[in-house]
Parts: sequence; C-alpha cells; structure tokens
Amino acid sequence: MIEFKGVSKRYSTGQLALYNVNLSLAAGEMIFITGHSGSGKSTLLKLVALLERPSKGEVIVGGRPLNKLSQRNIPHYRRRIGFIFQDPHLLHDRTVFDNVAMPLLLSGLAQADIRRRVQAALDKVGLANKEKNYPLMLSAGEKQRVGIARAMVNRPTIILADEPTGNLDPELAQDIMYTFEQFNELGATVLIASHDHALVERMRKRTIVLQKVNP
Amino acid sequence: MSSETASAKNTPSQRQNPLKIWLHQQRHAIQFSLERLWFNPISTWITLATIAIALSLPTSLYLLVHNLQTLTDSKSEIPTITIFLKPNISEQEAKDQAELIADFPEVKHARVMSSNEAMVDFQNRMGSDDIIRSLGKVNPFPNMIIVTPDLTVLGGTEEGMSDFIARIRASKNVESVANDTSWIMRLHAIFKIVNRILLIVFALLGLTVLLVIGNTIRLDIENRKEEIRVTRLIGATNTYIRRPFLYNGLWLGFFGGVLSLLILHLALHFLKEPVAELALRYNTNFSLVGISPVLSLEILVVSAILGLIGAWIAVGRYLRQREVSE
Repeated sequence: MIEFKGVSKRYSTGQLALYNVNLSLAAGEMIFITGHSGSGKSTLLKLVALLERPSKGEVIVGGRPLNKLSQRNIPHYRRRIGFIFQDPHLLHDRTVFDNVAMPLLLSGLAQADIRRRVQAALDKVGLANKEKNYPLMLSAGEKQRVGIARAMVNRPTIILADEPTGNLDPELAQDIMYTFEQFNELGATVLIASHDHALVERMRKRTIVLQKVNP
Repeated sequence: MSSETASAKNTPSQRQNPLKIWLHQQRHAIQFSLERLWFNPISTWITLATIAIALSLPTSLYLLVHNLQTLTDSKSEIPTITIFLKPNISEQEAKDQAELIADFPEVKHARVMSSNEAMVDFQNRMGSDDIIRSLGKVNPFPNMIIVTPDLTVLGGTEEGMSDFIARIRASKNVESVANDTSWIMRLHAIFKIVNRILLIVFALLGLTVLLVIGNTIRLDIENRKEEIRVTRLIGATNTYIRRPFLYNGLWLGFFGGVLSLLILHLALHFLKEPVAELALRYNTNFSLVGISPVLSLEILVVSAILGLIGAWIAVGRYLRQREVSE
C-alpha cells in the first residue's frame, strides 16, 4: 500500500531529515513510527500526504509513484488521506461542527448526510456535546480531538497521524488509539508517529524506529 | 492510489452522481459567500456604496444625453429643406418635380406647397392684412416643395447634406434652396462626441468597479489565508477554493448594481417636479425618460459580470503564487 524506496529528504535549509529510508506497508496495516524529535517522523508522514517531495528516491502509494502524480490530481489524492497534525489547524471563525464538516463539503455531500457523519465522528472522539462551540473555547486536548474527527469524517483509506496524543491525558490517549484501531479494522491503513513509547508498546503493532541522521 | 483499494470503504453516498455533488458544492458556496457578506456589514456596505456610485455616474450621464436626444427628436423638430421653384413653374409641374425628388433615397417625404397655400400660411402667421394689402393682388410666393430628408441615409454629416442640396439645386426648375437642417446636423455631431465621451466614462468607471471588487476580494483572501491552507491540506482543488470568492465578487457586483439603480431612481424622482414645471412653461408635454427595465437589467448583468471578473483576477493571482511556493 505504502512503499518508500531509498527515500532521502533534505530541506532547502540544508537540514537532512531522512536518509535512505526503505519501508513497506501492506494495505490495512497499522504501524507506529517512533524516534527522537528531529528524527524525521513528521517528514515521513508529509511525504505520504504530498506536503513535501523527496529529494531522492520515491514514495509509492497504492501502486502509484507519487512523483508521477500531476499537480491537478494532488487534491483528489489528498481526499483519501486523513491527516492528523500536531497542531490541529482548526479554523477559529467557525464552530466545531463546521470544522469537522469541511472534508464532507469538499466531497459535495447532502446536508443530511453531513449532519449524520459529523455527529458520528464527534461522538467517536467524545465531543458530541461541543459541536456548537468555537475552537477558542476548547482545551488543547479537545482541539486535538476535533482535528482527529475532521481527519476521519470522510472515511479515508489512509490515516496519517503526527503525535495525535501529544496533548491528551493517558486515558484519552488510549481511547484515541483504540479509535484508530477501529478504523484500521474497517480496512484503513494507519501510520502513526509518536514518541510515547509506553503507549506504542501497549498497542502491540509493528513499530519502526527512526534513527537521527548524522550528516 | 488505485480505485479498488479506495472504494473498499466508500459508502453509496460518496459515490452519488457528479451533478448532485456539484450542486451541493454550489449551494454551499452560495450560502457561505452570502453569509460572509452579511457578517462583515461594514466592509460590505462600503464596497457596495463605492460600486453603486461608480455605476450611477455614467448611467446618469447616459440618461441626461438620452433625454436631450428625445427632446430634439420630437416630431415638430424634424428639419426640413424648402425648395423655391422658378416663378414660371405651374402647380402641376411642381407636383411632378416633387414626385421625382421623393424618389431620392435621401428623402423621407416631399410635398408641394402651392403659391396660394403659401400666401394663406403667410397671412395666418402675420395675423394682419396690412402687409398683404400693400402687396396688392400680386402673390410674391412661387410654388414650393417641402422636403424632409432622411438623416440616417445622409449619414448625419454636413458634406452629405450639402452634396444632396447641390444635386437638387442643379435641376433647371429650382430657383433656390433654403436649408434649416445645419443646426440639427451640428447637434447630431455633438451628440456623437458626447456618446464617445460617455463610452470612455463607462469604460473608466467599469474599470473602477473591477478594481474595487478585485481589491475587496484580495483583502478577503488575505484574511482567510489559514482557511485556504487548511482546505488545501484536506484536498481542495483550486476550483473549490476559488468558488466562494467568485460568488462573493458576483454578489458585490450585483448588489452594487441594485444600489445604483436605487440611487438613480431617487435622483430621477427628485428631478421630476422641476422638469415638469419647466416643460409647462415651454408649453410642451416633455417628461423625463427614466430607467427602462432593459437598462436596469443591463446594469445588473454588467455589474455582476464585472464583479465576477474582478474576483477571478484576484483569486487567480493568489492561487498562482501559492502553486509556485508549494
């Protein structure tokens, strides 16, 4: 499903984030990526979401090399991916409901379907009663969960999560991980970057450790 | 990603027909753009007022010119050419000559005024018999032909008119030609210039509308950079990002047009009474030509299109910049 072939990434600042990464993920697999901060976990996820391009090597998703994907097709490709950012990037001028509904509006769903799906997604992250709130009224953990609901509401085939539980208390973090697991059981390929070793170990999934690159 | 893997979890609602998707997206963009206008009342009203004023100026100028034109086009003011025939020409010969002249393409209408008719007309106009009596039994008027030229065929130029008169004068039966058409020709020439000026004013103020809307949209984009970034991250196409801004421009243009029509109607209403009073003093039943439904529609369509173009340019510029930096 996701394949990295000799991928290196050097940013324009000269910083080498990834060096010669080879990795293969089967469809429907759930894996964790750990490593110290600065080891390139975020970069690896960004390469899959096409938020960055590799300097060397290629990333293949669903059998298609991403460097062959034209600019025009990138948006359609991204709609199949649910990306959970470290900073959830919520829009402050609209409610929790409207934030989560964004991917569905993009897909042109009917109002009734949108309502149903958003409520289901918010329910899943435990924010069913907050749909009318604005992001500024939420705690960091709640914002993070809104971001998770937004990433999952469109039922993506690939879920990429960059430190999704960074701001959550252990109990909630565990719950969120189970949510990811549920999605995985429904067939989604899940890729989670996390430095919470204890949590990662408890999940008993394949784990990849990125070593810091010594240039 | 291959479609087989992607469709594994797609629900039927995700695979609804493209037209429906498109309609839902349009509906949402319309709703969203109207909400934004509504919730930013100050900037919206300032923009609308600017557009309305910019549109009202050329339109009111147009109405002014249009009214002056109808004033001079009224039936009684149609210019005529009077052909004085030689004294030895009989009334019957005059009639034959008039028929010949009526066949000219430049002539709308030609009729004979016999010397007797002319005398009666003269008497009526003078209102007194003194002068007539002093003339004795002699009727000084020859037979005449009154010609109404067709200005559209003459092309509205003075050369065309003088050529035409020269041709009439060349006939052996004609003594002289009195032409009171030159003033109307000059007026038409002036109108031609005024119409050109009008066109320039229209173009300049149209450009103003375009710039005002473009700038408003540009500021709106600046305020919503984060939103654009996030929608991009979740897979929005440029078309999708552009859509609400285009509607925004369209509304600004359209409502600006509505407001300008309102201003014009108020202005016309304000002028109606003094104009009617003036017309009464001149003994005419002239009344102001207002804004026709067709003109209203034209204003609305043009301003809406200008808004759309302004928005298109503003968003297009922004999206191109982003594409390079991404």
